[in-house]
Amino acid sequence: MTKQSQQITEAIIERVESVLVGKQHAVRLALACLYAGGHLLIEDLPGMGKTTLAQALAAAIGLSYTRVQFTSDLLPADIIGVSVYDRNKAAFEFHPGPLFNQLVLADEINRTTPKTQSALLEAMGEGQVSVEGETRQLPKPFYVIATQNPLSQSGTFPLPESQLDRFLMRLRLGYPDPEAERQLLSGADPRLKLSQLSKGITPAQLQAIQAAVHRVKVSDSLVAYLQRLLQFTRSSADVDYGISPRGGMAVLKSARAWALMDGRDYVIPEDIQAVFAPVCAHRLPVSGGEHRAENFIQQTLNSVDII
Amino acid sequence: MRPLWQIPRDCLFWLLVSVIISIGLHLGHLPPWVALSGIIAAGWQIQLYRERWRQPGRLLKWSLAGACASGLFLHYGRFTGLEPMVALLLTGYVLKLLEIHHRRDALVLIYLSYLIIILQSLFSTTMVSSLLVLAALLPVTAALVAMHCGAENSRPATALRTALTITVQAIPLMLVMFIVMPRIGSLWAVPQQNSATTGVSDSMSPGDMTQLGRSGKIAFRVEFDGPIPEQSQLYWRGLVFSGFDGRRWDQQGPWGYNDGQFLQWSNQPQETWDQVITRRGAPLSYRVTLEATNSPWLFALSTPLSQSSTVALSRDFRLVNREPVISKLQYPVKSWLDNQLEPASLPGWRKRLELAIPAGFNPKTVEIAQQWREQTPEPLVLMNRLLALYNQQFIYTLRPPALGKHTVDEFLWGTKKGFCEFYASSFVFFMRAAGVPARVVVGYQGGERHPTENYLLVHQYDAHAWAEVWIEGRGWLRVDPTAAVAPERIEMSFADLFGEQDDFLSASPLSLERMRHIRWLNSLRLKLDSLDYAWSKWVLGYENMQSDFLLGLLGEINPQRIALLLLLAGAIALFPVFIMLYLGREKNTRDELDRLFLQYCSRLEKIGLPRQPGEGARDFAQRISLLAPGLAAALDRLTQLYESARYAEQSGAEILLFKKALKVFKPSRKDLLIRV
Repeated sequence: MTKQSQQITEAIIERVESVLVGKQHAVRLALACLYAGGHLLIEDLPGMGKTTLAQALAAAIGLSYTRVQFTSDLLPADIIGVSVYDRNKAAFEFHPGPLFNQLVLADEINRTTPKTQSALLEAMGEGQVSVEGETRQLPKPFYVIATQNPLSQSGTFPLPESQLDRFLMRLRLGYPDPEAERQLLSGADPRLKLSQLSKGITPAQLQAIQAAVHRVKVSDSLVAYLQRLLQFTRSSADVDYGISPRGGMAVLKSARAWALMDGRDYVIPEDIQAVFAPVCAHRLPVSGGEHRAENFIQQTLNSVDII
Repeated sequence: MRPLWQIPRDCLFWLLVSVIISIGLHLGHLPPWVALSGIIAAGWQIQLYRERWRQPGRLLKWSLAGACASGLFLHYGRFTGLEPMVALLLTGYVLKLLEIHHRRDALVLIYLSYLIIILQSLFSTTMVSSLLVLAALLPVTAALVAMHCGAENSRPATALRTALTITVQAIPLMLVMFIVMPRIGSLWAVPQQNSATTGVSDSMSPGDMTQLGRSGKIAFRVEFDGPIPEQSQLYWRGLVFSGFDGRRWDQQGPWGYNDGQFLQWSNQPQETWDQVITRRGAPLSYRVTLEATNSPWLFALSTPLSQSSTVALSRDFRLVNREPVISKLQYPVKSWLDNQLEPASLPGWRKRLELAIPAGFNPKTVEIAQQWREQTPEPLVLMNRLLALYNQQFIYTLRPPALGKHTVDEFLWGTKKGFCEFYASSFVFFMRAAGVPARVVVGYQGGERHPTENYLLVHQYDAHAWAEVWIEGRGWLRVDPTAAVAPERIEMSFADLFGEQDDFLSASPLSLERMRHIRWLNSLRLKLDSLDYAWSKWVLGYENMQSDFLLGLLGEINPQRIALLLLLAGAIALFPVFIMLYLGREKNTRDELDRLFLQYCSRLEKIGLPRQPGEGARDFAQRISLLAPGLAAALDRLTQLYESARYAEQSGAEILLFKKALKVFKPSRKDLLIRV
């Protein structure tokens, strides 16, 4: 299974990379997030390829996909769905909203009001929605890839910490390197390739991989290493409070997926180090500066020894 | 302005208690308004806590500080010296109550409380005050405890219980410190408590001793090796006055004497003038425990010698300490009651010194003295004639009428009422005018025998002045003209004689001495005194023993040697702690695999490739492979083995394989691509 997972992963990455040039690491992390069954938050400035990444992933994985552009006047019913009176049947009929898809791209999630945000986040947490007193199951797997602009931009409703916690990882794409940018500028619009993108994985394979993630071995000494990392964040004076136990579980889940993508059935410290920043950065309440959290996490990783 | 930080409730409680207690301890030597301002500040702080009042503004605080500083200056007239400094510290401490904005402000107050309470020991070291200091430390510790672990609404009693436990636990340490802490004498100067001295002063003018008569304080205590001599033998010589300016008697030496050094130290060769002392018979040996007097003179029976290296015998046959006595002092003395002082004829300069009378004073006395001398040329007969005059016509009283310019004339031929210093002064003046060398001696007379313990209590009201007359062939004779007037003054103790008079002890209205006619209170007073004496004897005795021991250990006491000794003692004291830490250190919990991995890392470190903390085995190997490609294969294999043993948790085989691979893994600097 591990070798197979690795092959499938490489195939998906190759497909996504053809659309989103030069972002292999971000793509790998996004994929690890999906393997681990978590939701993904992509935060960056407009035009950095957030939407492209989400679309390419959806196409390459072959999930049913919708995109919702969040605006300040979007209402919960607009994403969940509404019951409409059917004159022929003389009854109300539920018209499911865009949320009833396997992969939902919530574009610019911080542009909408907290009311709509929380409707989405309930769905993310429970895997179900309640409409007019009736609970409706969402399809499985259910993924949300949300994008948001940095909070310093005007006209945004920042997500509170408790809701940020629902996202397994937060990624930043950043500017492409010169080589990738040259390709991007000289070639045709990569988005045109999106429609031709073939699936790299079947739903059954995806389920198998997700099951395999749970079987990836975590040794005692690795757990001890993770505990030391968590303890470091909790005892440091630089942050108000450290990573929660849920955060620790999220790290381990992501590290398992990362190890599996690397073709291993056991986690090594390098796996934890690879996923630690994207999993933890948005969970750390560091005041002052967008990059303080990343710096603190780097300091944590540099200070805590692996044995 | 609201405080930025709220002090815990129980901490505030104990802090206020500590402030009140600290002020209370110093009440005796503080201007009363400092205590009052302390209470006001404490009340203000309570109102602040209840959010009823506001913090004082900047202007108010500055003016309060200014007012307090100038008030202190007005009260003391200076800022130097111990008392004004302590008062200044106390006012600052009290005003600090009004600006607790942060945790650190409260901590400053708590630590200051410790200092201020301990400062009390500079003023008094009796057993009662030591116990009071110990008790006063308790609420401060409680405040400190409450500050650090008090929850929002915990009860003050909880903190007090913890503080009590801590204090009790600290007692063994306290005893150890008492035993080993060196008593370093004068490495630095302690400022004098008062400018004024306590007890007898270095000069005598009419009326001085009435002040002492009103004080029931202890002057000193004496413990004899044998039985206590007769009351009439107990003349404690302190000062000898040979100079007289018409009103005031004062000391002459060391300038008046010119045959050698004025002071003779026990560890230095004998001065030539020591020959004029004839000591006969067995000496009386005893120990005097003197209360602080702020002056260097000591009290002893004639004629004394002390073995203590800090005590000297002076040319006028009394004992002098090397420094002013600013805290309780114990010194051993041997006295030869049977003695002769300067029996051979006095040289001219000595006679001039002991016969000098100021011109233009007391003409009547001078005239009558010369008449008497012509009538009775024999000095002893002359002396007895004068004493008989005292006995027949004079009255002993503590409330004599005031005297004008010619003090002796007015007293001898006018008022005829007075007490010891009037008699001593007029007697000496008369004898000098008649051509007989004489001088005034001041000290204490008698003392109170403790009924159960074998020691003598000498109070300030036992202060006395008498005379010494020089007779050729017999030397200096002690003459007490007061005894001629009121023999009971000498036979009985002063307190027994005057205990019922209103004036007696009017300076100490609450003293137990005043209640001495109530039997049980009197025995309580004596019991308390014997406890206090035992306490100070124990502390002082230990201090003397320890300083002798230190002297023996160090040879000579200087700051370097003291520092060395402290370091050594500190090292010895800390040694058990070190052992405890060593035994209790974190056991090496590394298992075999980690130890092997660390070996692997240290081998690479030796060739200049240390593993960074937080660097995983794989990243490390990859990094090194770039720097030393020759090692890449070995590194890769070791990493694989380590990872599968460590993280894949396979059978123990990998450990063995890793061990085997490590045995042949011998990286050297030659493997490096770039040698640094």
